[in-house]
Amino acid sequence: MRTLTLSLTAAGLVLGLATHANAQDSIKVGVLVGYSGISSLSGQQTDAAIKLFQKRYGEAPGGKKIELIRRDTTGPNPEVAKRLVQEVVTRDKARILIGPDFTPNTLAAAPIVTEAKIPTMVIGAATTGIIEKSPYFTRTFFATPQQCKPLAPYAVKNNWKRVYVMVADFAPGHDCEKYYISTLTEAGGTVVGNVRIPLSNPEFSAYMQRIKDSKPDALFIFMPLGEPSIGALRAVNDSGLKASGVKILAVGDTTDETYVDAVGDAALGTITTGIYSTQHDSAMNKEFVKDFEALNGKSPRIGWTAIAIWDAFRLAYDGLEAQSGSSFDPDKFMAFVHGRSFESPRGPITIDKATGDIIQNIYIRRTDKIDGVLQNVEIATLPNEGFK
Amino acid sequence: MSSLSDPAPRLPGQQYFASIARWSPGEIIFWAALLAVFFVPDANLPLYGQIVIWGLFAMSLDLLLGYRGIPSMGHAAFFGIGAYTAGYLGKFGWTEPISGLVLAALVAGLVGWLTGRVIQRVSGIALLMVTLGLNLILYDIVHRQSELTGGDDGLQGVVIAPVLGLFRFDIFGRTAYLYALAVTFVLFLVARALVKSPFGLALLGARENPRRMITLGTPIERDVSTVFAIASAMAGAAGALLTQTTQFVSPATLSFQRSADVLVILIIGGTGRLYGGFIGAIVFLLLRDWLAALSPVYWYFWIGFLLVIVVAFFRRGIVPSVETLAQRLRRR
Amino acid sequence: MTSVLTVLFNGVAYGMLLFIMSVGLSVTMGMMNFVNLAQASFSMLGGYTMVAVTQKFGIPFLASLPIAFVVVGIASLVLERLVFRHFYGTDDLTQVLLTIGLIFMSIAIVTYFWGSTYQQVSVPAWLTGQQEVLGFTLERYRMFLVVVGGALAFVLVFGLERTRFGAIVRACVDNNRVARACGLNTQLVFALTFAIGGGLAGLAGALSANLLGIDPNFPLRYLVYLLIVVSVGGMGTISGTLIAGLVLGVGDVACKYYVPQIGGFVIYAITVAVMLWRPHGLLGRRA
Repeated sequence: MRTLTLSLTAAGLVLGLATHANAQDSIKVGVLVGYSGISSLSGQQTDAAIKLFQKRYGEAPGGKKIELIRRDTTGPNPEVAKRLVQEVVTRDKARILIGPDFTPNTLAAAPIVTEAKIPTMVIGAATTGIIEKSPYFTRTFFATPQQCKPLAPYAVKNNWKRVYVMVADFAPGHDCEKYYISTLTEAGGTVVGNVRIPLSNPEFSAYMQRIKDSKPDALFIFMPLGEPSIGALRAVNDSGLKASGVKILAVGDTTDETYVDAVGDAALGTITTGIYSTQHDSAMNKEFVKDFEALNGKSPRIGWTAIAIWDAFRLAYDGLEAQSGSSFDPDKFMAFVHGRSFESPRGPITIDKATGDIIQNIYIRRTDKIDGVLQNVEIATLPNEGFK
Repeated sequence: MSSLSDPAPRLPGQQYFASIARWSPGEIIFWAALLAVFFVPDANLPLYGQIVIWGLFAMSLDLLLGYRGIPSMGHAAFFGIGAYTAGYLGKFGWTEPISGLVLAALVAGLVGWLTGRVIQRVSGIALLMVTLGLNLILYDIVHRQSELTGGDDGLQGVVIAPVLGLFRFDIFGRTAYLYALAVTFVLFLVARALVKSPFGLALLGARENPRRMITLGTPIERDVSTVFAIASAMAGAAGALLTQTTQFVSPATLSFQRSADVLVILIIGGTGRLYGGFIGAIVFLLLRDWLAALSPVYWYFWIGFLLVIVVAFFRRGIVPSVETLAQRLRRR
Repeated sequence: MTSVLTVLFNGVAYGMLLFIMSVGLSVTMGMMNFVNLAQASFSMLGGYTMVAVTQKFGIPFLASLPIAFVVVGIASLVLERLVFRHFYGTDDLTQVLLTIGLIFMSIAIVTYFWGSTYQQVSVPAWLTGQQEVLGFTLERYRMFLVVVGGALAFVLVFGLERTRFGAIVRACVDNNRVARACGLNTQLVFALTFAIGGGLAGLAGALSANLLGIDPNFPLRYLVYLLIVVSVGGMGTISGTLIAGLVLGVGDVACKYYVPQIGGFVIYAITVAVMLWRPHGLLGRRA
């Protein structure tokens, strides 16, 4: 009888240790991006980037096997996103979160990840101040000032001092307008007019006419990815505004590789600020693009979502490697991430030590046709641009 | 032979209203099940909480559409008004949830009452277009005034105190579920009493034959404003519930997408039954969640297909179709 | 002054596009009392047909337009025979929901075959850029739209007023029962009118692809505009749709030019105002 009890206890202990050890060996990572609706291309890029990353770097950084939990945010939909974050954190027990994309979704997630202590990579929201909403937020995307300020001094430097400002009429557009106008005026330029365009706007002719009437040297455009950008760039071309000599300056959203082909030749000559171009001239990027296209095909093209996901995984893997052998500690993870610098296919990145926001190179690019394909060719670099 | 111990002999009218007010076993099981779900381990309470809120929202539309026959393509406007009211209250210091909810419902109800007065003369396609137009205008204003409303990013700084000072809104969605269920049940009781009252009959009558109702002396214009006010107040309450349980409100609460979704949910579940909204919400949301996980890019196809099938074969919706089926089985 | 007239012209071009997109819906709503929101999907199909035909088979743009008309016309005829005719006589809401369901399905089907990106659209060089006309610099493609729209409007109104078929169609719209009693084959007339309406929607899609872009979400984006044009103009009237299209097109462009802060909401405000003032639309008749 005693032998039986002892052997059962021993067996129990062994099983217990085995399962405990197994539990140590895997970690759940939630991936919350848009797979359907307006952002379905982001979802496809995300999966493609993850596939390549795990092919190159394996699936078990620091000895912990990554279990991915994918959820579709369906676009900027905070009601759904908040519920998905709750589910993934409380029921699926994810310990790290990649996403959700879009500012409203990320804002809705903040209180949950703070309370549950879940390091969260912001891969699709550019709004300033968002990283401060949770000590567990860190960003691999870009911040609006990085995107919107540089073309102001650039315009003045090139003697395009009279600028017309055209932004999409929603919160990110208003933000961008504010940054651009203040930076332009500081640099000595003049805003000859500005207009806010409704997001669901099929018809640009009235706006083009207003811009023509004010005879600017340059036009600065902020439009989000997708239909508004395509419409704006085509209208600028079709209305003859570009041909009349007005320089077209815009944020990188408008010529993002994923959508630029739909704009067609109308996009040629647009000068944009961006964080990533497939044309970036570094050995790391050349290899990245080659491997990406070999694994995932040439469509959809590599846009900034892919690179944001790639670098998020880089951070996650490095953070997990640093904790190899011990159980996952979110606060140690965040301490590791803060202040971390590394090389990405886009260029060098640093995560700010104090806030967790991103410091990166911002590139001024021009849209050219290379081998028959529209590309963003980098013509100037602003190194280590801060996020304020 | 009426016995002397019989209290007051009931008039046929009173008998009628008394008989329809009785609770059927199905109803009791329904609400008991919703409560029981809370105790199921590992239940997806955040999702179920949202289903309850959608059910309340759809039920409020049922009062308008099912009982009074007023099709509205802009009902989300009232949901959003309630949501933002609760949001602003929470942002500017009025963090007590229950009083905030009541206030939000009252505001939405007032706007609904005004809308009811405006649309008196309109019907059919024109009515659909007016309700749609008003919804789109409201959305446009809220969406673009980002300095006032936070725009797309949502209203920041919404703080909601614990319910009754005791129950914090936790990340597991437990408080949210019970709070939403309790509010919904109370409003359901109100709606139920309303539709099973003479007022409810008057609504049905005006839906079927307005002219006849006028000849009977029913104040149908005042009734339209009243039912609009009540339906809007309940929609506003649903909106406030969403804001309070998520501590967040964005223009999506008054989007056309939401108006269309609630209409689809109500039609799928069945109009004129009060429960149709809840059944529709359960079916639609669970199905959408499941289909979206299976086939993220193509779930649209199956939802569209479901809609076509329901409209083609179960035109009156799930609840009435099930009722008819049950009746047929009973007769066998 | 130049600006005013240019704005007016651009508004008219936009209005013509709205007219062509909505005229099919107006006719089917007026004639068969059938709310066919899937017209928006027909337009999308027309756009995709144009893109496929010009890019895969190298057919010139102008030739692709009648092809889009015919292909979508046939598709709508098939759909009418198979699905829609069972729903004549049901209430508005049923038809709205049925056709919205069809729109959802069409979006998924198009995504399956063409993917979710925007299609690359290009038109021949003689339709791009601007042209000096009487001292004004006008966009060539918009001039093309005005010409095509005007021609279509003329053909449709003339066809309806002056041809035998037009007279038959008018009879069926005015009083279906009596028309049948007179021996007219209303089923055939319905089917043909449906096909023409669908074909027109397809043509509109092919024409608008260059101006508005074409992607799977096209129907949902333009559904609201379709409804607005048809309800403001009045159902079953071609002239009504034309006037509504022009009023809304010019109104939209003019407001954006002169008072851009108000932006897009003017179109909704006009709709609500018209619906409250004249619920049957500007030129609609009481049923």
